[in-house]
Order: sequence, then structure tokens, then C-alpha cells
Amino acid sequence: MIRNHLSTIIITIITATMGVIAAISFGKMHQPEELFPSEGLTGKVMLSDYFEGIKGTNGDTEVYLFDSGVEGGTALVCGGAHPNEAASFLSTVVILENLKVTCGRVFIIPRLNNSAFTCSDPMEGFPASYEIPTKIGIRKFRLGSRVTNPLDQWPDPLVFSQYPSNQQLSGFETRNINRSYPGRPDGNLTERIAYAIIQLIDKEKVNIAFDIHESSPEVPIVNVIVYHENYEEIAMGAILGLEMAGLQFSPETSPMNFHGLSHREWGDYTNAIPFLMETSNPSMGRLRGKTDVDLVLRGYCDNYKKAKETGALRIAYREDTGEPIAHRVGRHIAGVVELINSYNLYYPDMQIVIENLPDYDMIMEKGVGEFLNN
Amino acid sequence: MKTGISTIVTIMILFLAGSSLLAQKFEQPVLISSAGQSADVKLVKMLAQRQGLNATTVLMAKPDDLTGFKTLVIVPGFSSKGLGAAGISQQDEIERVQSLIKAANNLKIPIVLMHIGGNARRQGQSDSFNQLVADNSKYMLVVKQGDEDGFFSSIASTKNIPLTLVEKIAETAEPLGNLFK
Repeated sequence: MIRNHLSTIIITIITATMGVIAAISFGKMHQPEELFPSEGLTGKVMLSDYFEGIKGTNGDTEVYLFDSGVEGGTALVCGGAHPNEAASFLSTVVILENLKVTCGRVFIIPRLNNSAFTCSDPMEGFPASYEIPTKIGIRKFRLGSRVTNPLDQWPDPLVFSQYPSNQQLSGFETRNINRSYPGRPDGNLTERIAYAIIQLIDKEKVNIAFDIHESSPEVPIVNVIVYHENYEEIAMGAILGLEMAGLQFSPETSPMNFHGLSHREWGDYTNAIPFLMETSNPSMGRLRGKTDVDLVLRGYCDNYKKAKETGALRIAYREDTGEPIAHRVGRHIAGVVELINSYNLYYPDMQIVIENLPDYDMIMEKGVGEFLNN
Repeated sequence: MKTGISTIVTIMILFLAGSSLLAQKFEQPVLISSAGQSADVKLVKMLAQRQGLNATTVLMAKPDDLTGFKTLVIVPGFSSKGLGAAGISQQDEIERVQSLIKAANNLKIPIVLMHIGGNARRQGQSDSFNQLVADNSKYMLVVKQGDEDGFFSSIASTKNIPLTLVEKIAETAEPLGNLFK
């Protein structure tokens, strides 16, 4: 009898201990890693300052401001719309931690869907985090989910009816911020975050806005700049400029009939000139092998090499080197710089001049960590 | 003696081939269209403008659009976003391009292929468009990365179509302009 009670007590204690450890670990997912902006930072607010409807939720996120004090245009750089896309977040962090603005203003939102940083995608086997060695030590970053945490928004409908287009999509997409623009003030959390971003763009009179993404190598929309049809010349100018620097980007027009995406709705509902960029990330693909930190950072996968060699599909994968994080971050930063350069040619009265960002070759040579503070 | 004659003949053939390549001229006005609806066609439009060509771009040109034009430039490359934006299927697009090419051939309007998308517009769904346009072209201007496997070179060689390969998109501007000077 006593023996039975003793074993029950022991099992209960062990179970409770495991539960506490798991709870602490799970709780840490809600603690964003510290970022270390460059000296050029002039202000930091929360996205809820533009729309109170997300205040106190996991959807609220930091908005960093670099104001040169010199009259000019305003740029918005967003990463982390899909926190499972590591180079999206890291590119904005590198920009945040190095940027100097000498004309106009730049807003940066590294965690566009902050809620999605607090969970990972079920059944995908993604690592919860990855580490980048820096000059001083190791920086650890969360690898999150493509969509808003179900703890923050649940349940999904069977069919997602996008607002206001009524376009029908899979129920899962109801938590995808890049299907939720322009959002609405009384919608679900993802729609409210989207609405807050539209308010920021409007209130701050953003001229040019970037939404940084990654995609599977087998998806046709990879290594691209997606542009709104009203701003074709800026995209084409940038693509030619990038090509001169040895970086090939394909132009893709934002489909007029595919709704909820930043490159469509930011252009339709605000005065901003939107661009979305995608790099190739093998850790996100359906053909990937073991899904670990090495795949996320080194981006090398034999499966993709074999798939490309078959020639059956167009695979955006470099057989010899893979798609390492430095290559992906380098491309994104080069894209932002060149698009701003191209924008400046067309809007000389609303210039945005940015400095001190590492170029592609520097990032490839020294690694991403070299350009992270602390 | 025999060797000497064959050398002279070879030199003459090479000279004539070279002259024909150099003499390859097309007339304006030019209609620029896409095959596969990739936005590469917009870059070609910009390059043509920079070269001062009398060119009109119609993304989904149909046989009737050929009226008044003396050269048809087709930019092949598949884009799911482009087809989605146009609201058509890949098969619809293939059929449109086939009818455009057929009409151009009937009207004796020469077709120039411009492939500038590199490997992003190769293989997969792009190659059906690349093959269709290349087979019917009178001249091909290709960014080298799109010909790494010799796809265009092979067609050019088999069908005796002049082919110019360049390293970068920006480098297509001058040879494009020269075709009409």
C-alpha cells in the first residue's frame, strides 16, 4: 500500500518537474531576443501606437525609427512576416544594427508578426532557434512559424474568406499576415496587425516599403522582386543595377486578383511603393532532408542538388554552395539598397539616403555575425 | 592542293556566315510580347526605350495586334504570378503564343527571341515557351546563364538561326538596338 503511494508520489513529482521545465522553455518562446540598434537610431515605438486594438497582445511589436533630420522621403523595412524564414528576420536585424540615414527617415519592423515568433509550425520538425557567432560571442535567434500562434487566434475557419476581397483561401491562411492586408480594426488578431501596419504607413507617409521573405527552392516565386504595377520602372531599374553587381533577381508583377498580400494591398490602400523580395531557403522546401540548424544556416541539401539535376522542375538552388544564410541576407540587403537607389532617381525631391550597410560581397566574405552588434 | 581548296572554301563559308550575321537587320516598328507572362518583357520594353526603338509592348498580343508592325520580339519565360495576373492557364498562353507565331509567319513578320531571365526562366514550365519561340525565331539574343546547358545554342545550330549570347541583361541593349540600325 505504502509502496503504491510512494510510486504515485514519485511519478507525480517527475511529471510535475518535466511540466515545469517544459513550461519554462515554452515561456521563453514569448521573450523576444534583445536587438542592438546602431547609433543612428532616433526613436522606438510600438506598433500599437498606430492602432490601439493590438495593445497588450502578442501581435504588438517594436517599430524602430532612424530619422536623419534632413527633409526627404520615408522608407519602411519589414522582416519577420513569416518567422520561419530566417533570412527575412536576420536581414532586418543587420540593417537595424548598422544603418545610418543621412536624408529622410527609415522605419524598421524586424518582427512583423510577433505572435508567429512564439511558436513553430507543427509536423515540420523545425529547430526552435539557431545561433550566429559574432565578433563578441554567440547570438541566439528564434525560428518561428509562418502564421500567428494558435494560442493567440483560434480556431481557424474551414475556409478563409479574405477581407475585403472575399477571396477564398485555405482556413490555415487566416493566420497568415501576408494574406490579411489591408486588415480591419474589428477583425481577428492577424487582421488587426495588418490594419495597424496600414495605419503606420498612412500616418508616417511612407514612400517606399519592403516586405522581406524567403521561399522553398522549388517554388517559382524565388530570387525575385515582386512589384506593384504602378511602380514598374523602379523595380526594373533596381534589377538592372543588381545585375551589374552580379546579383540576379527576376521581376514579378503583383497579380491584381490575388489579394491580401503586401505587394498588392500596400500599393492599393496606401501611397507607399511596395516591394517584396524572396530568397531560396532549402529548409522550407518539401524536398528537404534532415531539418536542422545546419540546413537553416548552411542551406546545403543533397536532395535539392539531385532534384535540380533531374531538370524536371526549375529549382533555385546552387549545387556547389547551397543557399547559405550569408548569401540570402546579402541578397536582401543589396535589394533594399538598390531599390532605394532606383526610387531616388524617380523621386529626387523625396530622397532617402542610407549608409553603412554591408554589401553582398562583404557579408559573403565575413559572415552575417560580423555585422551583428554585441 | 586539295587542302588548299578546302581551306579557301571554309574561309569563304565563315566569311559569308559572318557577313550574314553582321547584316542581320530587322525593321521597325516593333511589337514586343511575352510568351509565358514573365515580367522580363517589361525589362525588354525598358531596354528598347533606352535604344530609342519605335516599339510597342503588348503583353498578351494576339494576331490582330501584328497589324502595322514589321518585327515581333518575343520574350519567353513562365511566371505563375504573371499568368495569374492575366487570369489565364498555361495552356491558354501556349495557344495564344502559337497563334501569334503562326500569324507572324503568315505575314512574313520576322520573330526575334530575347531570353533575358537566365536560369530562372529555364526548365520546368518555361522551356515549352522557350522551345516554341526559339524554333520559330529568325534571331536569338540570350543572356548566357539561360544557355548554360546549350539549350538555345543547340537550336540555333540545328536550325541555322543567328544567336548572340551576352553576359548580362544590360548588355542586351546594344545588340538589340543594332538589329534595327
